[in-house]
Amino acid sequence: MKTLFINPFEKYREIHLLSIGGIATLLGTVIAYLLKGRFDGVLDFHLVDDVSITQAIIDTSVNIICLVTFLFIVSKYINIKTRLIDIISVVIIARIPLYFIPLLTIDNRLKNATDELLQLVNPEKITSLHSEIPTEALVIVMLFAILSLFILSWSIVLLYNGYKTATNALGVKAISLFILALLISEICSKIVLFLI
Amino acid sequence: MNKLPVNCPSCEASLAVSQLMCSSCKTTISGSYSLPILLQLSPEQQSFIFDFILSSGSLKKMALQMGKSYPTVRNKLDDIIQQIQQLKK
Repeated sequence: MKTLFINPFEKYREIHLLSIGGIATLLGTVIAYLLKGRFDGVLDFHLVDDVSITQAIIDTSVNIICLVTFLFIVSKYINIKTRLIDIISVVIIARIPLYFIPLLTIDNRLKNATDELLQLVNPEKITSLHSEIPTEALVIVMLFAILSLFILSWSIVLLYNGYKTATNALGVKAISLFILALLISEICSKIVLFLI
Repeated sequence: MNKLPVNCPSCEASLAVSQLMCSSCKTTISGSYSLPILLQLSPEQQSFIFDFILSSGSLKKMALQMGKSYPTVRNKLDDIIQQIQQLKK
């Protein structure tokens, strides 16, 4: 079970990983579209007022292409035998946990709680210096933050384990290059999605 | 049959063969012979090489037989190659 959730790349064949990852990518894109969310960066998710299905497809594609490109470059540098198909599998499987984030916003509770809290810091609406902080809204936002952080960590763990398996990489150099690839992918995807 | 020790249990240096015996007539030969590199590998690594030969060098076939992914099997082979290169030095 641990292998399945933490490092499926050790055991499962690429055809299975690609199939499951492909289906999850499609579902994740549709979920983001239906729940009006944008994966506007490799490690980002934001709620928006409206999103088209084309935009949702572009977001997912740009994130996957950026991550695959930079992870494959560092993987090839570490181990020349690294295969592109393994890196593609790693990226699409590692993104599966991220597709659960929009589901956390399903009944608009998060949006309402955020709006409620934002009103407190709006200088035009502050009536008293001792405005009461709505506890329920605060708990909802904090719970969402904790769950999102957990999901993000899970996704990065999957990505790192997959990269480690695909390249047979060990040591500080491999970890540093992985972090570098992740950061460049994030920056690149943000720029590309901003320009599109 | 007992497992062939390849390292000294006291100082962990590689062991050498000092005596060989014919299992039929019990003739013994004494001398100093180094162990072949393949015998210096762990039993697990030797078994991997054996399976590799039996599958005609197909890592994909081996991955299927072992129930592991292709990169995992290839990594195991890479580790063995690295160890053999170290032993050859």
